[in-house]
Amino acid sequence: MKRVQFSRPLFPYLLLVPQLSIILIFFYWPAAEAIRSSFYLEDPFGFSSTFVGFDNYHDAVTGSEYGNIAHFTLVFTGLVAFFSLSLALLLAAKADAVIRGAKSYRIFLMWVYAVAPPVAGLMGILLFDQSLGPLTQLAEFFGWDLRLGVNYWDTATAMIVISVWKQVPINFIFFLAGLQSIPRSVREAAIIDDPSSVSRFFSITFPLLAPTAFFLLIINITYALFDTFGVIDIVLKGEPGNNPITLVYKVFLDGFRGNDLGGSSAQSVILMVLVLILTVFQFRFMERRVHYS
Amino acid sequence: MTDVQSTMAPQSTQRRKPIKWRLIGDHAILIAGSLLMLLPVLMVLTTSSYDNVTIHKEGIQFLFGDQLVENYQQALFEKGGFTKTVDGARMLMNSLILGFGFAVGKIVISMMAAYAIVYFRFRFGTVAFWVIFTTLLLPLEVRILPSYEVVQSLGMLNSFSGLIIPLIASATGTFYFRQFFRSVPEELLEAARIDGAGPLKFFVDILVPLSQTMIAAMFIIMFVFGWNQYLWPTLMTTDESMFTLVRGIKQIMQVWIGANIPDYGLAMALAIIAMTPPVAIVIFFQSWFVKGLTESDK
Amino acid sequence: MNLKSVLTASVFAFVGTAALADKTEIEFWHAMGGRLGEVVNEIATDFNASQDDYTLVPVYKGNYEETLTAGIAAFRAGEQPDIIQVFDAGAATIIGAKGAVIPAQDLLTDNGIAFDANDYISGVRYFYADAAGKMVGMPFNSSTPILYFNEDAMNKAGVSAPKTWEEFQSVTAPALKEAGYVPMAQSHLPWIFTENFMSRHNLPFATNENGYGDAETKILVNNDAIKGHFTALKGWIDDGLFGYYGTGWGDNQTPFEQGEVAMWLGSSGSFGGLSKTAEFPFSATYLPYWEGVTTEPTNTFIGGAALFAMAGKSAEENKASAEFFRFLTSAEVQYTWHKETGYVPITNAAYDLAKEDGHYDRAPAAEVGIQQLTLPAGENTKGYRMGFYVQVRDVMNREYGKILSGEASVEDAFQTIEDESNKLLARFAKTQG
Repeated sequence: MKRVQFSRPLFPYLLLVPQLSIILIFFYWPAAEAIRSSFYLEDPFGFSSTFVGFDNYHDAVTGSEYGNIAHFTLVFTGLVAFFSLSLALLLAAKADAVIRGAKSYRIFLMWVYAVAPPVAGLMGILLFDQSLGPLTQLAEFFGWDLRLGVNYWDTATAMIVISVWKQVPINFIFFLAGLQSIPRSVREAAIIDDPSSVSRFFSITFPLLAPTAFFLLIINITYALFDTFGVIDIVLKGEPGNNPITLVYKVFLDGFRGNDLGGSSAQSVILMVLVLILTVFQFRFMERRVHYS
Repeated sequence: MTDVQSTMAPQSTQRRKPIKWRLIGDHAILIAGSLLMLLPVLMVLTTSSYDNVTIHKEGIQFLFGDQLVENYQQALFEKGGFTKTVDGARMLMNSLILGFGFAVGKIVISMMAAYAIVYFRFRFGTVAFWVIFTTLLLPLEVRILPSYEVVQSLGMLNSFSGLIIPLIASATGTFYFRQFFRSVPEELLEAARIDGAGPLKFFVDILVPLSQTMIAAMFIIMFVFGWNQYLWPTLMTTDESMFTLVRGIKQIMQVWIGANIPDYGLAMALAIIAMTPPVAIVIFFQSWFVKGLTESDK
Repeated sequence: MNLKSVLTASVFAFVGTAALADKTEIEFWHAMGGRLGEVVNEIATDFNASQDDYTLVPVYKGNYEETLTAGIAAFRAGEQPDIIQVFDAGAATIIGAKGAVIPAQDLLTDNGIAFDANDYISGVRYFYADAAGKMVGMPFNSSTPILYFNEDAMNKAGVSAPKTWEEFQSVTAPALKEAGYVPMAQSHLPWIFTENFMSRHNLPFATNENGYGDAETKILVNNDAIKGHFTALKGWIDDGLFGYYGTGWGDNQTPFEQGEVAMWLGSSGSFGGLSKTAEFPFSATYLPYWEGVTTEPTNTFIGGAALFAMAGKSAEENKASAEFFRFLTSAEVQYTWHKETGYVPITNAAYDLAKEDGHYDRAPAAEVGIQQLTLPAGENTKGYRMGFYVQVRDVMNREYGKILSGEASVEDAFQTIEDESNKLLARFAKTQG
């Protein structure tokens, strides 16, 4: 935190009251309810329930697909974060480098940010449509028989492409902002020291971007884990079949779609613990490694 | 391409050749990137000008058809639903309320919380920090049923407050503002303290004006987030006059067991209508957007 | 505006509110999007116009799963609608929760409306009934899988639609392939090639009277007949005799509409949409069966959804729901619904009305669904009742996908389906207390 701080007895609590009360009522109360129901098998209508201890957890983890889903979630999150960050970084570096048309490029590259995930998903399934999709036809031209909804990895490809497309603009904005905040003097000195632009980028610019990059990494992992929900939901067209799904989507499938409250809650709790570990790790890592000047 | 040509002309006289090639390369990458972003949306725009049967049979269209006016007129002004109270304009209005209400509420609440966390030394500071940031863990989708029960027991179904407030229960805004406040130079606070400014005065007179661009950036992010909600409004609202645009689009696309062709044209038109306000806001605020984020990383 | 007109206006306003207040308003949550939703709204408007005591307000709550979940959440919160539409796979959930609904049969008789199960066509009579045969859900949008075929394609190949899978395999499919078509596709493997495979061949689908009884239920999907079918299916796909386009309904229907696929197994309710999109003459016939399994094929199950009157409402509102059920099952309304949507009429009277009106002379294919539902019944064809069935279907879809892509053998996949389904059924049994 800040080295210089106020110390007033009451004021900070007053500032925190609105946020904390909303979080307590609309986050912790439902979350506590989820933890409670993860130990029960409950009739969805609430007429009867049986305490089953850790059975829900056991059943969830030993399900034949759980390992596959966890594996896919990992791969999906990694690929989406990697591609959306690196594409955005490339575009931001270029947009920062050019002078002519910089403003138009900036608008073109960021406005997709405003498109709703279900709309992005809708565009995606039309573009990847098995018999009519232009992207399917393009793939066919290159000898790739892309079949959305039939082949596991083809569906995964479509999900990743759509999710990345949707995420590049926000990353682009942050990277561009990060690049533009590097003082002119630093860059000019760097050009003299190291005329090769690629190595200069990685030796000088990139370390200066580290705070932005780490921050974006968290945002992108959260995005890939949770906010891609709308995209996945539309691509699967309501029937997951033998297509890839993420752990969050599985929670939704079992709980919201299948009304297995206990099983779904247990999976939520597992997810909560995993993400908690990840977050603690990230915060510690970030605070230690990245220095804010 | 003409743009690139004219860009090159004055510079080629001053600079050496390799630089020119690099510049062409830069522009090529940027143009490719822009097209990648633009084309899918343009296709939705052109496709929205066709009738349903054509779209169903032939898929995405690249040129404009003859149903443009009809589809948009229908999307915006034809009263749908049972009560005949809901049309595109009404859904647009609801989406706007949701977007604005959420963005404003979230910004106010998270600025206050971030201010407390960054600028005060108090007993449960760390606890409060973790209590707030744990909410990053669990999106609404996975705790949606218990959330519904809570909202119901507070009598907030079918109301804008019930739509908006539970969405605010996540820490993203606080997270961004925390980052920003931490980058504000220490000297400012020291100077303010020497001048005898209290915490309230410092917040209102110095920090808020300083955060202007950051607030603009947050406004865009939060407005878009609120605007794009789907699952929560679906569960929360039974009253047709509360429907939002994004919900409207999904409703049109969900047609059962092939008995009918979805109203693709209408859905596409609604999709374009649904994109317009957030896109307008992004474009309108874009210079502040980048500036706001630039300052936060200084 | 003078005083007199102000007074008149306020008197009218007063009378108006009084009249409104007298009406009992009931809510009806449904999952009918698009054009179907419009027809539901038209029915509701007609019902409201047909009498002065009740107002029915239909609310679209998303797809089937979303509607059921919204209804459950609302019920737990005491905010449930009077009537909710629940689909076939969710039937066990809502019927299993004793006290969540008032059986349709009780609702009608308690409110002085005559009920006779025999008024309903045989195929829909028992699907949403309890173990004793009492009708719990009122069948609403009912459909069944049938075989559509492109007549041009059949003529070109010189074949007719196959009655049996043996005929398909040896005669129809090779000829169609020769003529340049993908011979066949289907749109829903659990529904068409599992549930209705069982009923078409009169095979038991689950223990405990297909799950209707009070004892423990175990799925019987791991049997030689269906494994033989999937082995054959995999072979057909490998030989180019069958097209599989994934779990998306439309992905399998589109190639048929575009004339690439010659025959398509879809819903009897798909008729209306096909008439708009197919540019070739098409017709329909019964779902084929394996002669090697049975020589006396039976009727298929109904699919679609039913209406349930939820418990915890006032007597006045229940009366209103009962009146709506009466209105809905009248021959005229049923016939309109059948004609507009392609779903089958659920009463014999409505079926007769459609025949009298010449509907089937104009569109013979529209009658195939109801004819197939009224085929001779067997002891295993009245329906099935399994909990967490949405997840069971998901497991089937996943494992079938693996069979067809070659990731799993038929033997292994069915073993997995059996194991996971039984695990789900056991879990469901525990939720029931």
